[in-house]
Amino acid sequence: MGRFLLQRIVYMIITLFIIATATFFLMKLLPGTPFSDIATKASDAQLEILQERYGLNDPVPVQYANYIIGILQGDLGVSFQFDNRNVTDLIMDRIGPSAQLGLQAMVIGTVLGIMLGMVAALRHNSLLDYSANIAAVIGISIPSFIFAGLLQYYLGVELGWLPVAQWDGIQYTIMPTISLMIFPMAICARFMRTEMLEVLGSDYIELARAKGVNSASILFRHAMRNALIPVITVIGPMAVSLMTGTLVIEQIFAVPGLGEQFVRSINMNDYPMIMGTTLFFSVLFIGVVLLVDILYGVIDPRIRVSGGKK
Amino acid sequence: MRNKNWLLLVLAIMLSAVLVACSDGGDTTEEDPGTDNEETEGTETDNEGTEGEEAAGEEKILRIAETAEIPSMDPILAEDSSSIQYQDTVYEGLYRLGEDGELVSGIAIKEETLVEEEGLKWTFTLRDDAVWSNGEPVTANDFVYAWQRAIDPENGSFYAPYLMNGVIKNAQEIAPQEEGVEATMKPEDLGVSAPDDHTLVVELEKPTPYFESFAAFPTFLPLNQEFVEAQGDQFALEVENMLFNGPFVMTEWAHEESWELVKNDQYWDKDNVSLDGISISVVKENSTAVSMYETDKIDRVGLNATNIDQFATSPELISIPENVTFWLKMNQDSANYSEYMQNENFRRAIAQAVNKQAFIDTVYGNSSKPANYLVPEGFVSHPDSSEDFRAANGDFLEFDLEAAQGYWEAAKEEIGFDEVTISFISGDTDTGMLITEFFQNELETNLPGLTLELKNVPFNERLEIQKRGEFELVFSGWGPDYADAISFIDMFVTDGPNNEMGYSNPEYDKLVKQVKGELALDPAARFEAMQEAERILLEEDAALAPIFQRERALLSKPYVVGMDELNPFGPDYSYKYVDIQK
Repeated sequence: MGRFLLQRIVYMIITLFIIATATFFLMKLLPGTPFSDIATKASDAQLEILQERYGLNDPVPVQYANYIIGILQGDLGVSFQFDNRNVTDLIMDRIGPSAQLGLQAMVIGTVLGIMLGMVAALRHNSLLDYSANIAAVIGISIPSFIFAGLLQYYLGVELGWLPVAQWDGIQYTIMPTISLMIFPMAICARFMRTEMLEVLGSDYIELARAKGVNSASILFRHAMRNALIPVITVIGPMAVSLMTGTLVIEQIFAVPGLGEQFVRSINMNDYPMIMGTTLFFSVLFIGVVLLVDILYGVIDPRIRVSGGKK
Repeated sequence: MRNKNWLLLVLAIMLSAVLVACSDGGDTTEEDPGTDNEETEGTETDNEGTEGEEAAGEEKILRIAETAEIPSMDPILAEDSSSIQYQDTVYEGLYRLGEDGELVSGIAIKEETLVEEEGLKWTFTLRDDAVWSNGEPVTANDFVYAWQRAIDPENGSFYAPYLMNGVIKNAQEIAPQEEGVEATMKPEDLGVSAPDDHTLVVELEKPTPYFESFAAFPTFLPLNQEFVEAQGDQFALEVENMLFNGPFVMTEWAHEESWELVKNDQYWDKDNVSLDGISISVVKENSTAVSMYETDKIDRVGLNATNIDQFATSPELISIPENVTFWLKMNQDSANYSEYMQNENFRRAIAQAVNKQAFIDTVYGNSSKPANYLVPEGFVSHPDSSEDFRAANGDFLEFDLEAAQGYWEAAKEEIGFDEVTISFISGDTDTGMLITEFFQNELETNLPGLTLELKNVPFNERLEIQKRGEFELVFSGWGPDYADAISFIDMFVTDGPNNEMGYSNPEYDKLVKQVKGELALDPAARFEAMQEAERILLEEDAALAPIFQRERALLSKPYVVGMDELNPFGPDYSYKYVDIQK
């Protein structure tokens, strides 16, 4: 296991390096400069001073080297959009609400989804199964902002039960969480149902039944565990994208999250911010993929063997 | 652990993650705006002593939504409307904008300002009861320091050289803007001095009638040197890194989320400040802001084309004209089509073939006005007769399909073409798309044989394309930085940085030169020269196709008073004079 981990961490570092490099050069291809918002009024001399100040006049390889050195020292630089503000601070300020919403949506969505999927599988071809199926299809195909808009209008404006928007306590998280959890819930329900049906029909379940193992034990210890593998594969990466913020939901509910920074930093050519958010996302993503791999081992010991043997 | 406890483990991980996240969220959300009001001792008792009920009933708090974070609270870095608005609210310069958008006394007593030496020497007398929020007095040295800091090229102010060069003595030499020109002077050489604590003397390069508008612009705000230097590069980044001297102080600033302004009890003119505070939330989605307005969470909300219809009959709907004109630039320097673009009939045909009212109805659906001019209506008026700039000049290049088609046929004959394809650049936003579709339909239908090659590009790229001159038609606009028509007229001098359409007319250039030079001391003649310049640009040369003057549609609760008009330049509103009358 130790060796497996070490190997994976080395891979992670290599992957991150490639991502950082690719992002850096792709970013340089963006049209415009970070200063175009004032470019109509600023003189060339002034733009020159700004370029110089932010090191944008150096040859690209030098910029690249400076940038990699900065990252190694844990310095993501200073944002261009917000004068003098540190990218690391900007990300840390914003990640809280995004992560909270993401986690709430993820946990509730996954748990409900798994339950729904299991119930559907156990009551295969019943009315319950059909309705769970239909609900899942709707959840997958309708984008979250539609739910968000509907919730906001009916619960917020018409009924006035919940605050329409903003971020000021737990009641403010309810509507965004519901809008966000629909998708993971639907996905989990679909996967869980399919997998459960397959597992429940397999030989070892038959064997367990024949041995007289009680049905709860069969369901939770034998069936669910095997059925969870594909579900975990899906929810890992999904958790990352939910936790780093979703632009549309954050905008609709005026949540001060990270999602918007991803988009705006690109529109504004805020190079350090683009790099910062991309790297942050990558680290989380790769970390979660690793975690998922470890979880496979915990859930299904057969998967663990390959890494540990040699 | 291997077999039985895995589920427990997973649950434990999930649970702890949720708990961590929750406590994170709690930290940022449960701050009570009343608890850390160190800056404003007077209000502290209000917030802590009396119970919420009574205070809430009496307090006049204006609640508004902004679409974005304040980009900067450092006066020399203010470049956008939001920074300018909130700096004006918590800081105060020599003058500020009064209830009707006119200049009134700020730190300087306006009636005592002396203009001597044929407009070259301005002496401001500062009041002695103005203080910073740390209790120190606001002195003339605070202005000297702040202006020197602004013009210092090291500090990266964009507006300082843009406004000061050629106006304030030696600014040009301290921060030259021409390529290859080296600075020959230091910021200390700037023509501004403080003979004593309450006298500020400014020396100008040449008489500049609009210099007094600068006295109300953020770049020219005072700064307490000791404080600013103590903050280093943290200056103005957080509430604790700022000193206030304006009608309000900022007590809380949750970046990209909200900020709170509270009436400044140390402000010299606090008796004339009606509001107790202003509470601003960042709401990016317009429909969300509208919902918040409907549920009475905010007092004002802007409307866009998609939601204006449902409020068309609302008594709370108001419309505020802005001093922003939009137009089509017709590029006479176009690489492949200069022959067409330089033909006057060709340009005139394009300019007059656009139904401007239909454009507004299609794209914005609000009460914006068709523009047949460059300098907006209601922006500046004649110094003697007080008549609006538009009164004498009237309309140019109005929509006239028949005339346009006549010019079009004439152009076809003169140039010798039947069909032509030229490029049209606009934004890639939803509105940008609507604009493109409208012009394509309008121009291709009205001018047979014309085809537009459409390019919808991001804002950044559009500016680059304009700069490189790689277009035939581009839709763009301009808003002024100070109350003078020269802000618009100056754009189209030969090779001007914002000309971008290869327009050149010696007569026009001569007028602009006179306006910026010898006419400075003759305001009436200067004003008329600018009107003449506009007439040459539009009537004689048909160089630009004006489209519309923007209006802002918004919903405003009936109890909000003093926000029915925008200031002619600078901050949109003067919150000092806004009131809530329930």
